Order: sequence, then structure tokens, then C-alpha cells
Amino acid sequence: MHSILAVFRRELALYFRSPVAYAIAFALLLFLGVLFNGFIAQANAALSFGSGIPADAGFAPNLLTFLMFLIAPLLTMRLLAEESREGTLEVLMTLPLHESSFIIGKFLAAWAYYTVLLLLSLVFYVLQTFIGMPDAGVALSAHVGAWLYGGAVLAITMIWSAVTEDQIVAAFLGSATILVLYLAEIAAIWIAGQGSSSLVADFVRELGLQAHFSVTLAQGIVRAEDITYFICVIVGALFITTRLIETRRWRA
Amino acid sequence: MIEVENLSKRYGEVSAIRDVTFQARPGQVTGFLGPNGAGKTTTMRILTGFMPPSSGRAIVAGHDVFTNSMEVRRRVGYLPENVPLYRDMTALGYLKFIAAVRGLRDGERRAREVLGRVDLLARADSRIRTLSKGMRQRVGVAQALIHDPEVLILDEPTIGLDPFQVLELRDLVRVLGRDHTVLFSTHILSEAEQICDQVVIIDRGEIMAQGSPQALRSELESGRPVIVRVDAELDEALTLVSALAEVGRAEISADGITATPSDPELDPRPAIARAVLERGWALNELRSVAVTLEDIFLEVAGSQTPADAAATTEAEAVAAAPEEDEVSHA
Repeated sequence: MHSILAVFRRELALYFRSPVAYAIAFALLLFLGVLFNGFIAQANAALSFGSGIPADAGFAPNLLTFLMFLIAPLLTMRLLAEESREGTLEVLMTLPLHESSFIIGKFLAAWAYYTVLLLLSLVFYVLQTFIGMPDAGVALSAHVGAWLYGGAVLAITMIWSAVTEDQIVAAFLGSATILVLYLAEIAAIWIAGQGSSSLVADFVRELGLQAHFSVTLAQGIVRAEDITYFICVIVGALFITTRLIETRRWRA
Repeated sequence: MIEVENLSKRYGEVSAIRDVTFQARPGQVTGFLGPNGAGKTTTMRILTGFMPPSSGRAIVAGHDVFTNSMEVRRRVGYLPENVPLYRDMTALGYLKFIAAVRGLRDGERRAREVLGRVDLLARADSRIRTLSKGMRQRVGVAQALIHDPEVLILDEPTIGLDPFQVLELRDLVRVLGRDHTVLFSTHILSEAEQICDQVVIIDRGEIMAQGSPQALRSELESGRPVIVRVDAELDEALTLVSALAEVGRAEISADGITATPSDPELDPRPAIARAVLERGWALNELRSVAVTLEDIFLEVAGSQTPADAAATTEAEAVAAAPEEDEVSHA
């Protein structure tokens, strides 16, 4: 426990000292702000024709989860690749702690930083409450969903940081993996259109991230299977990462 | 205490180390000596629990490195080659981090204590990246010391330091050797000779010789030739020296006359001195050819047949690969 905490604190402090982390926060808020502006303009235009449009409480969570294919690799690419390139992994692996401890510590630090990003994006929900009537329940479900979604995506991209010593390679592969999982729904539709059995299409859709978020949690629909899905992805990805690091002992 | 028995490590087909057996006792500095790629780093990585051996047994601080790795790691301080550190942390911050991971209670106090021990308190709040190489090396040693381990394993700690820093570090290792079991690797023979109580020589993955530097030396010093320089015609002197019963063979060399004793157990020097003085010549020099670890090393490492050497070249190359060799010996 103490070693997880020590690693967590070190990594989290690094995020707050890293220019990349601030650049991500800045770019994210700028992007969301510009789109939010467009959203308001659209609502105003609709209003002038006498009809309003509903305030979507899932506005920021939906966009944030979409952007995760860019954000997550940048947050996780360093975590293990740098340790292994610098040789500091050898020190960690000869300290009295199990590999899973520092992997969990590092993952939690990335997730904590992501949580900060998510909390920053809450500003758009607050603004919505001033000018409209967003559904508080949907907001809660969408934000908690986006939080779990982010954890799953970070855990997956972290696997690549354990695979390669090269941060850029880790980032690209992580990005590609998340994009594939994000677009699984479209692939499922295409498969269904090919006339093959709907079982395959269902399987592909359920494997993807969006089927468990955009159509459920982001709309205020809380289902046990979606939450289970995200937790399983996190645990599974961390397990794979741990195993990959463990094999270093046999390959070194 | 480190007890290593028949330790072997294979990478696929090639062996990095074969049947390595030695002991390192508490209160002593044991020098692990060998050229780059001899298997020093591989052995040390096994002893620190970084990787498992292919076969054999190693007991470090009373625990088996394979079956009880965590207990070993709790009792061992390790400084890997090339001293990997988190460059973006301060020296103190880094040591506090290591203390926290190790679960030590008073991390801050211990961190300051070991920084004092390596004489770096003045730079405690400097980022590691701004420290000189010698200082970084000392931060690495501090890291290995923070939990007051029974066993200290230092992999080539003096590599890349300037001569002054090398002296400082050697002094530190010697002091640490008084109350720890220290295993210290180097490819610099004079270094091992200076600071080690015991030397283990490894080459191409195999132990070639072990013992105290003095014992290894006296073993080889018997039967060594002596150098004679006299104030006389060389030819005459050669005739005189070679005629002595104690001298087996004498020849003219760059230093004067090199005389090999007829019996390895015998020291021919008194007889030579007497004979020269009887002739009324001045004896300018009479000395035994000094044996250094260098000689021992060349002798034991050179005794392998060329066929053996060829067979192990590949193993050596593989063993050398993870070490990122820095060939700094002249």
C-alpha cells in the first residue's frame, strides 16, 4: 500500500510539473469552449424561431470521451517507456515491491490527472444551469460514465508504454487502439449491413467503448453491464501491463 | 553474506554465466573483477532479485534470491551500472521517494542521514539533472544505503568519474565495507587490488580465480624472474649470473639481466647479490618482477585455449549487450 501511494504521489506531482499536462488542459478547455459557444449560438437561433433546444448535460463528457484517443496516449506514453529507457525500472524492480504496485500507482496518477480534467470540464454544465435546465441526473451519470470511460482508456494506452521503450511509438499505438475501440460501433453497423449473423455485429459493438457510454451512461441510462465493462477493461489492462513488465525479468 | 553456488544464466542457446560459485563475507569488500561482458552485471542482477538464474542457487543475507526474492530485496542495497536516477527530482526528494517505496518510517531523517554520509547535504535540494556525474553516483550510493542494508551490491560505481571522484568513492566503499557485506564490480584491476579484501575474477562467464589480492599475488610470485643490474659488462655479468646453481635461465633484457630461478620455491636474489659483491661490482638493482592483479588476470584469462575462446565469443557478446559497455580502460 505504502509503495502504491509513494509511486502515485511522485507521478501525480510530475503531471503538475509537466508542460504537456498543462497544454492538454488548455487545448481541451479551448476546444470545448469554442464548441460550447457554437452550441449556444445554435440554441439562440432556434429560440428566435420560437422553439428551444434542450440543454444536453452530456455535452462535455461526450466530447471529452471522444478526445481521449488523443489525450490518453499523451498522458500514459511516458509512464513505463521512460523508466525502461532510463534504466530506472531496474531500480524499481529490485525494490521490495511487486510490479503491480508501481503499475497501479502510475495508473492511478494518470486517472487522477484525468479526473482533474473532467472536473474542469464541469464548468460547461454549470454554465448550462444558468441559461437552461439540464437534467442533473443525466449530468451525474454522464460525468461518472466519462470518468470510468477515461480510466479504461488510460489503462489500455498504458499497455503500450510497457511494450515499447519508445514513447512516440507507445503514443501512436495507444491512439490507434482507442480509435479502433471508439469506432467499433461503426464497424458493427457495417458488419450487420453485410448480412452476416447479427451475433458477430453485436459482439463487435459490445467490445467497443461507445456502446457502453454514448447510448447509455451519457443519456442518463445506468446499466450494471456498462459499469462492469469499464471495470473489467481497467483490471484486465492493468493485469496485462503487469505481466508484460514481469517478463522483463526473464528477457533482460 | 552472499553465498553463490553453481549459478548459471542462459539467454536461449548462449550462456552469460556458467557454474559461478563464490562467497562474500560480512565486514569485507569483495571485488568482482572481469573485463566488460564477462558476466558481472548478469551475476549482480541475479543476486539483487532483478532476474532469476537458469540454474544454481544464491543465498543473499540469509534468503534464497529465487524463492524469497522480497526478503532479499529488503536487505540488499543495489547501485546498477550507469546509475539510473529520476533526473527531474531533487536529491532529497528522490531519496524520500525510495524510502517511501521501501516503507521506511522516518524517510526524511534517513534521506538526510545518507546524504550526509555521501557528503551531499549541501546539494540536497538540487535537481539530480544539475548534479555532476560524481555527485549523481553518490546519490546512487545513498539510494542503496537508505535502508541500512546488510548487503551492498555496487555495479562499476567508479566508471566515468574523474580521478579525484574515483578516490573519494573508493574511500567510501572501503568505509562501507567495515559494517556491510560489499560486492563491488570493476574491470580496473588496480582498483580491486586497492580496496578489496577478497577478489573474484570472472571471465567469459566463469570464475577464473578467487582469494585475497595478497594470496593471489604470492601464489604467482613464486618462481617469478628477478631483474639484475650491475655496474659491469653485460656479457660478463650474464656469465656470472647464469653460472649460479639457484638460477635456471638468465638472459639480457631491456631492464638488465632477467634471471629465472631453477626452483620455483627458491629465491635466487641472495645468491646473486653475494656473487656480484664477491666480484667487486656495484649492484645497481636487484628486484623480483612485481606481480599485479593485471598479471594474474592475464595469466588466468589467457590460459583458455583458443577453441574455448571462440566458443564463448558469442556468449560474451550477448552478455555484454544489456550492459551497454563503456570501454574506459586504457
